Amino acid sequence: MSTMAPPAPTPTSASSRPTGRAPIARLAWMLARPGAASPATVALPIVAFAVTTALLLIVLGGVLMFWQRTDENAPAFQMLSLLAIALLIVPLATLGGAAARLSARRRDDRLATLRLLGATTGTVTLVTVVESTALAFLGAIAGVVLYLVSMPLVGLIPFGGGPIGPTAIWTGPLAILGVVVGVALLAAVSSVVGLRAVVVSPLGVRLKQRAPHTSWVRLLVGAIIVAVAYATLSSLGVITDVAILVGALVGAFAASVAVLGLVGPFALSIFAKVRLRRAKTAEQLISARGILESPKAAWRLVGGVAMTSFVAVVAGTGTALLESFSAHSTSEALFIADIRTGVLITLVASFVMVACSVGVGQAAAVLDRRDLYVSLDRVGMPVSTMDTARVRSVMLPLLFVAIGSALLGALLVFPLAGLTLIMAPLSLLVIAICFVLGLALVRLSLLATRPILTNVLAHPERSLG
Amino acid sequence: MNTPLLHASSLVLRYGSTTALAGVDLVIQEGESVAIMGASGSGKTSLLHCLSGILRPDGGFVRFAGPTGTVDLSTLSDGERSRLRREAFGFVFQQGLLVPELTAVENAALPLLLSGYPRADAEARAAAWLAALGLRGLEARRIGELSGGQAQRVAIARAQVGGATLIFADEPTGALDSATSVDVMDALLRSTTGQGHTLVVVTHDEKVAARCSRIVRLTDGQVVSDSAGAASSRSTVPAPGAFAGPAAASTTTTAIAHVPTTDGPAFGGAGWESGR
Ligand SMILES: Nc1ncnc2c1ncn2[C@@H]1O[C@H](COP(=O)(O)OP(=O)(O)O)[C@@H](O)[C@H]1O
Ligand SMILES: [Mg+2]
Repeated sequence: MSTMAPPAPTPTSASSRPTGRAPIARLAWMLARPGAASPATVALPIVAFAVTTALLLIVLGGVLMFWQRTDENAPAFQMLSLLAIALLIVPLATLGGAAARLSARRRDDRLATLRLLGATTGTVTLVTVVESTALAFLGAIAGVVLYLVSMPLVGLIPFGGGPIGPTAIWTGPLAILGVVVGVALLAAVSSVVGLRAVVVSPLGVRLKQRAPHTSWVRLLVGAIIVAVAYATLSSLGVITDVAILVGALVGAFAASVAVLGLVGPFALSIFAKVRLRRAKTAEQLISARGILESPKAAWRLVGGVAMTSFVAVVAGTGTALLESFSAHSTSEALFIADIRTGVLITLVASFVMVACSVGVGQAAAVLDRRDLYVSLDRVGMPVSTMDTARVRSVMLPLLFVAIGSALLGALLVFPLAGLTLIMAPLSLLVIAICFVLGLALVRLSLLATRPILTNVLAHPERSLG
Repeated sequence: MNTPLLHASSLVLRYGSTTALAGVDLVIQEGESVAIMGASGSGKTSLLHCLSGILRPDGGFVRFAGPTGTVDLSTLSDGERSRLRREAFGFVFQQGLLVPELTAVENAALPLLLSGYPRADAEARAAAWLAALGLRGLEARRIGELSGGQAQRVAIARAQVGGATLIFADEPTGALDSATSVDVMDALLRSTTGQGHTLVVVTHDEKVAARCSRIVRLTDGQVVSDSAGAASSRSTVPAPGAFAGPAAASTTTTAIAHVPTTDGPAFGGAGWESGR
């Protein structure tokens, strides 16, 4: 049973002992073979690692593409590609972490069984590491295939006046090998560090003994940064040079990412407290408490969207602003169109990553809490209540964060572009597309994890005795 | 005697080729405390799950005499049985299984919230239950901040806060040390049979069983003995009404806690208040 405390490692257990030591390979196979566990526990980590690997390779390929360019606009695009990386690194790391956690949690499931079979703690650890790494490796290989399959599709994206071509984001075999090994290592390390039997919240964090606190200092520092960024942008006045404009946008972006990271968790906890006070139903109560349990984890999950929706506003306005310069020459018009494409691609990628992390994290959270869900079902809590609580604990912070950071973005570009440009049809369109697409993607991934919950309830024998 | 509260007849339950219950007959009267004992794998949990409508038996029937009449559990839909469990039965599991991010009082209030009771009232009633079970002052603690015994009392409060008068407990003291076991079992007995309610408890512990009014022993899915427990004389169990808890209004709750017919909360708030 997953709630069972893992046996304390004894000095002798890690070293080899002639007796009671089962062959690792056979044990690993016994536990990993189809049917030994619910298929979800094997399939999910593989899928999660596959998606992580594929997205990582696509992003890497895209960035490398810019760095291989030698035309006059190359430096600007290289800078923008770094910006894109900065934007994508957080959601990508979150996704990788979720995948690793998902495979490592199998350790708890199998621990008791293995001990009963006479395995020592050392054996248990080894089997777990072998298993996690193997799953990650399989996933990474599948991810490479996914990446290869997606290359022609990504190749349709127009850049520099025409489609980039099916091999444009090819990273080369060395980079692929590096990514596969890296993903497998990530899995191995997380399973060694191991997740002992822990109680986790729907957001997939370990519940602490004491309720966490967030401090006002963050808010203060955040406000100061916003003020400085605002003043800087205001003093820039009317900008006619595209390069300076891009520089200003990058600066505003960097400042705001810092602010969002600082203030985000705190703002979320305030938001959850208000929600908690207002909660009337069980699902409202549970979701508010779930966010409060770890505002940082909630932030980590949806923070990528904060960056994205912030950038959507800044970039939407930016493109509208750039559009107004576009009459000068065809090469400049092309440059602007390329920037807009790049921004949109980055936004879409970021939403895809957040949606994947939510899906993976929710799958893990449901499986981690299976005992609790089964018991709540027995006590007579309707499935819809459990599902609503879970969905709310993700969608509420997401909405709050998306709207909050969009407002912050509008505040920052206001001195630069003025209200007319923020409200320009083109920028509004970009923003609207991003919001609708992003929210729909995340909601969809939550919907996709509902069958896991109903499956857990349909097979209660796999949890409680 | 009048209609039994719970009447199980020739219960058969199979898991594939394993027969967990091989024709169990059991009649439980209101106010009894029944200990179900037996070796591991003898079918105790299976029996408890059939009696409480968690599982539908492959053969036989379970009849529950609710205040609105007798219902045959296997004729109810999943939704109706779910509702029956929520409103008429209470459950205590081996490891509390409380929602970890909620506080003690919120956990105890959960069944009331699910029945559509206003939050303030639900929490007030839950707090009264916690206080009656010796947890006064711990209402705002999160589950991780409680000891195993305290968490189990929260589970006991949750089981009964909705007015349930039939409580099912599966090894409620199984994860506790022996001193804490005694305390928790005390709390469980006082709050149930102590006020005329009915308790069905699966246990490994002879000491726990000895405090019940009746002991049913299972072997290989069959009842091999059904005897009066040491407590059948009621000498060691407080008399009905002795439990000075919020459920002193047990007459109110007994009368209203029932199955399918109404949509509202399973008890009247005013009735409960006036009953204090
Ligand atoms: N979900 C299940 N699938 C298959 N067999 C089961 C399942 N649950 C219980 N059993 C079997 O049914 C028998 C009775 O189990 P159970 O009622 O849990 O016993 P107890 O609670 O007395 O330990 C045991 O042989 C057990 O292995
Ligand atoms: Mg059992």
